[in-house]
Amino acid sequence: MTELAAPFDISQPAISKHLKVLERAGLISRGRDAQRRPRRLEPRPLAEATGWLETYRRYWEGNFGRLDAVLEELKARKKHGRSRR
Amino acid sequence: MNSSGALKVTAQSDREIVMTRVFDAPRNLVFDAYTKPELLRRWLGILGGYSMPVCEVDLRVGGTYRFVWRGPDGAEMGVRGVYREVVRPERLVHTEKFDEAWYPGEALITVLKSPMESGVAQSYDKLAELLASGALEKARR
Repeated sequence: MTELAAPFDISQPAISKHLKVLERAGLISRGRDAQRRPRRLEPRPLAEATGWLETYRRYWEGNFGRLDAVLEELKARKKHGRSRR
Repeated sequence: MNSSGALKVTAQSDREIVMTRVFDAPRNLVFDAYTKPELLRRWLGILGGYSMPVCEVDLRVGGTYRFVWRGPDGAEMGVRGVYREVVRPERLVHTEKFDEAWYPGEALITVLKSPMESGVAQSYDKLAELLASGALEKARR
């Protein structure tokens, strides 16, 4: 943990707290190596989360692309005074 | 076609997703596109051969909406919800629950349309959306 804390300008207890949160979320795991407790990144849950978000983003990008086209048409209609409510 | 902004998706909190998108159109047109069935069925969720045979909107506080999409194979997916706030043209708040929900509870959607220098910004809050699913719930405590 000393190694992990070194680059950061926050206290060791604070680092420890962050590590616990990451561990509880399944994003890191803790090993054992004599006196050291090496942490390992667990990329799979992170990949699952970003994968879900990416699918979601693509779905809405598609929706909004079609919405753009509908809005263009409404704007054109309005300009030609054929607006309907 | 037109210069619309890119979609930004961020997690605001454990249970809140915010989508921000700029539209090159006046707010009232965007509001119409979100609330008039004949416009909604032209853009919402109609991808991969899906159409929206059912699109009913009772646009008032406490009013409900019902959307059903049908895929090329005949499979249907339905969603319904209740309008909580209807403030034309800047604010629309409604609940959302899919018929075969894969998450507990219901989502709360807030559509905000803020005027910008040119165009309209929209942000979407998805409260208790998928992030309210069991796995993340468990991870919280």
